Amino acid sequence: MKQLIVALCCMMVCTFVVSPAFPQSDAEFAKANANYAAGHFQEAVNGYETLVRSGEWSANLFYNLGNAYFRVGDFGHAILNYERALALDRHHPEADANLRIVRDEARALEMQSSWPERYFQFGSLSQYSVVAAVAFWLGMFCVFRLIFGRRRSAAIIALSILSFSTFVIAAFAIYKLENGNNGRALAIVTGTGVEARFATADSANSVLALPPGSEIKILSTRGDWIYAALPNNLRGWLPAKSAELVRL
Amino acid sequence: MYGVRASIPVFFLTLTAFGGANCVFADAPRVTAVLSNSEAAVGQTVQLQIKVTGDRAAQAPENIVIDGLEINRTGTEQHFEMNNFNVSSSVIYNYTILPLKSGTFKIPPQTVRIRSSSLRTPELTLNVADSPGRSSSSRSNRNLQPGDADKLVFAELIVPKKIAFVGETVPVEIRLGFDPRAHPKLVDGPEITGQGFTAQKLQQSQENLETLNGRSYDVVTFKTAVAAARAGKFEIGPVKAKAQVSLPRTPSTSRSRSRSPFDLFNLDDPFSDPFFADPFGQSERREIDVESEPATFEVKPLAANAPPSFSGAVGNFTMTTDAEPKNVQAGDPITVTSTISGRGNFDRVNAPVFEDERGWHKYPPSAKFKQDDDVGISGAKTFETVISPNEKKQALPLLAFSYFDPLKEKYVTLRSDAIPISVQGGAPIPPNAVASQPAATAPATVGAKPSPKPQDILYQLTERPPRAQSFTPLFACPIFWIAQLIPLAALLGFAGWKIRQAKIDNREARRIGALHQESTDLLRRLRRGEVSPQEYFSDASRAVRVKTALAKNVDPNAVDAEMAAATFRLDESSRAQLRRLFERSDELRYSGRPNGTGTISPENRREVLELIENLRV
Repeated sequence: MKQLIVALCCMMVCTFVVSPAFPQSDAEFAKANANYAAGHFQEAVNGYETLVRSGEWSANLFYNLGNAYFRVGDFGHAILNYERALALDRHHPEADANLRIVRDEARALEMQSSWPERYFQFGSLSQYSVVAAVAFWLGMFCVFRLIFGRRRSAAIIALSILSFSTFVIAAFAIYKLENGNNGRALAIVTGTGVEARFATADSANSVLALPPGSEIKILSTRGDWIYAALPNNLRGWLPAKSAELVRL
Repeated sequence: MYGVRASIPVFFLTLTAFGGANCVFADAPRVTAVLSNSEAAVGQTVQLQIKVTGDRAAQAPENIVIDGLEINRTGTEQHFEMNNFNVSSSVIYNYTILPLKSGTFKIPPQTVRIRSSSLRTPELTLNVADSPGRSSSSRSNRNLQPGDADKLVFAELIVPKKIAFVGETVPVEIRLGFDPRAHPKLVDGPEITGQGFTAQKLQQSQENLETLNGRSYDVVTFKTAVAAARAGKFEIGPVKAKAQVSLPRTPSTSRSRSRSPFDLFNLDDPFSDPFFADPFGQSERREIDVESEPATFEVKPLAANAPPSFSGAVGNFTMTTDAEPKNVQAGDPITVTSTISGRGNFDRVNAPVFEDERGWHKYPPSAKFKQDDDVGISGAKTFETVISPNEKKQALPLLAFSYFDPLKEKYVTLRSDAIPISVQGGAPIPPNAVASQPAATAPATVGAKPSPKPQDILYQLTERPPRAQSFTPLFACPIFWIAQLIPLAALLGFAGWKIRQAKIDNREARRIGALHQESTDLLRRLRRGEVSPQEYFSDASRAVRVKTALAKNVDPNAVDAEMAAATFRLDESSRAQLRRLFERSDELRYSGRPNGTGTISPENRREVLELIENLRV
C-alpha cells in the first residue's frame, strides 16, 4: 500500500508540471496597453497581434486584444479573442463579461451545447485528464491487489469498481468536451455579411446569415470552403477565410 | 392435396374479409369542382362538373345563378371503381355554362349536402372574351388507305389562347375521335410534339359519343397544359397517336357487295363491306397513325423590372397567411403557414419571402400542393416556414409574393397582413430595426421603450502570467503520457514483488508438505514393527526430528534431543527417554550393531511409539 501511495504522488506531481516557460515580452505588452490607453486602438491591435504571433499566449493578452478589436469596431475578432481568453482560462471574469456585451452588440449567434456538454462544463479538460489518469491507475492497483492477494476484500472490489467508473465518466467527459460544439472545432465568424450556403458556390441558396462573432463548428474543409455545423442545428458551407478556429 | 383444397376457401375468405374491410373503411366524402375550360368566348359553352366522392346520397344545387352566365344542370353520372379491393363510388353533376357577356366571372363555392353534413366546392374563375375566335384548333383526318381511313379517325388539338406569356400555363385539349364500328383500340397514347415549351402529363378527362358531319364518333378527350420557355412564335404539335382498328379486306372489283345498313345514302363508307354484316367473315386489324394539325401561338416576354420576390409565377393568385404559436420565448420556433391559391404555373410558385428577416432565424420551407383540376393549373399550394425570433418582437415580418398577371400584363405583389405575436426574453428590439419596420407594423412598436445605450466593455489588464499558456489540452501533451510511465512502473514493480512472494510461499509449502508426508510414513513403519532395530531407532529419531522441524519450521537435520524436548516441553522422564532414543539411534547408525540384545521388545516398541505420538506443541 505504501508503494501505491508513493506512485500516485509521483504521478500527480508529474502531471501538473506541464506548462513550458517562455520569455515574456513585457515591454511589447506594456506598449500595446499604452497605445490602447491613448486611444490608438489599431496600433494596440498590431502590438497584441505581434505577441500572439510570437506564441506568448495568455488569457490576458487575448482579452486585451479582444478589447482593442471591439474599439476598432471589429466585433468578430473581438469575440474570437474573448473566446480564446476563456479557452485558456475558463474563469476569466472580465473576458466573460465583455464577451456577453459584444455578443449582444453584434447579435452573434451561438451554438447550443448538448446536455452532456452542459453537465461536464464544471471541469476543464485538464482536470478531467488528471481525474481519469488517477482513477485508472488506482483501479489497476486494486485489480492487481485482488489478483495477488490471499483473500478478496470487499472494500478493494468496491474501490476498483468506483475507480473504473470514474475513469469511464472522465474519459466520456473529455470526449464530449473535445468533440462537442464548444470543442476543438469551434470557430468564430470574423467576416461581415457571411452567409452559409447549401453548396460551395457564392450563387448557391443561403442557409443562414451569420453575423460577425457567430459560433460555428467546422466539420470538414474543401478547398476555400468549410462545411460547418451552424446555430439552430443547421449545416452549410461558408468561405474558409470568413471564420477562425478558437484554439490556436 | 387435401391441405391445398382446404386452403382455397380460406384464401378466398381472407380476400373477401380484406376487401370487405377496405369497403367498410372507405374515405370520408369529398367534393371537387372543375371547369372544362377556364377561358371561353361569349356564346361558347363550358362544362362544369361537381364531383362527389365517397357518398352517393349527395344533393348538388339544381341552379347556380351568376350574372352574365347561364348555368343549367344537364345530368348526373355515377361511377364505381374498385382498386385493390378498395371500392369507391362517385357522383358527377354536370352543368353547362353559357357566357352571356365578357369578363372574369367567379363561380362561388357551392354547397353540396351529404346526409346531415355539407361540403363546399372550391371557387372557380372563368374568363370570358368578347370574340369567339380566340381559340385555335386544328383537326386532321389522316388517311389509312385512300378514301377509307379518313372517315374512321381524327385528332384535334385545341389551344384556347393564341397569345401567352413566357411561363404562362395554357390549357390544351386533345380530342381523338374513332368510328365505333371499327372497334378502335388506342395503342400508343397521344403525344404532343414540338420544342420550346413544357407540357404537363396528359390526363384522359372524358369519353363520349358525338355526331360530326352526320357521322357518330367515340371522342376521347385528353387534357394537359403547356408553358412556353421563351418568347416568340411557337408551333405546338402535331399530336401523334397510334390506334388499332378493324378494317374490311380490300374489296374485289368483280365482287358485288351489299350496302351497309349504316350507309343509308350510298356514301363511300368502308363499313358497307359485307364484313360488318358478317363479323366472322374476312376482316383484318390494322395499326394506323393518327395525327392532328399543329397549332400556333405567340409567346410574349414578361415585363422588365420584376419585383425581388418574383420567382417566375405567372397566373392569377391570392395569398393567405397564418402563424402558430403567437406567444413564444426568444429562440422558440414559429410555424408560418402561407397558402397561394388560384390558377397558374404552380411549379414555379415558390414560398413567399420575408421582407425583413433581421432578428429572425429562418428555416427552409416545406411545400404541399393540392390541385383542383386534372392538369394541375388550378389549386392551392401551402408553404410552411419555421422561423424563430432572436429578440423581442411584436409582429411577424411581412410576407411578400409576386407574380405576373397575364390579363393585366403586369407584376402583382401580394403582402400578408401584419400578424401580431408576443416574444418573451432575448435582447430588446434595436432602434434601427424598429424604424425599418413597414407601416403596417409601425403602430405596434410605437409604445416600445427605446433600447438603453449599449454597455461599455471592461478595462484592460496589465498583468501577465509568468508562463505562457497553451491551448493544447493536458491529455494531448507528451509530458502527460510520459508521466503515466511512473504509475505503470510502480504497478509492474508491485506485480513483480507479489509474484516473487507467491513463489517463495509456494516453495515453503512444498517443503512442509513433504515433511508431513515423511512423518506419516515413519509412524506407519514404526507401528508395523517389521524392521530391524537399526532401522527402527533410525526411523524413530527421524520422526522426532521431522515433528520438531514442523513445529519450529527448521531443518530436521539440525534437530537434536534437547531441541526436540524443549520444543515439545517434555518432562524429565520423557526427556531422558528421548535422549536414550537418540543415543540408541546414533549407536546403531555409527557402530553397525547394538550394545545388548539384537531385538526390540514389544514394551520397548510401545514406549517409543507412545513417546513419538505424544509429541505435540
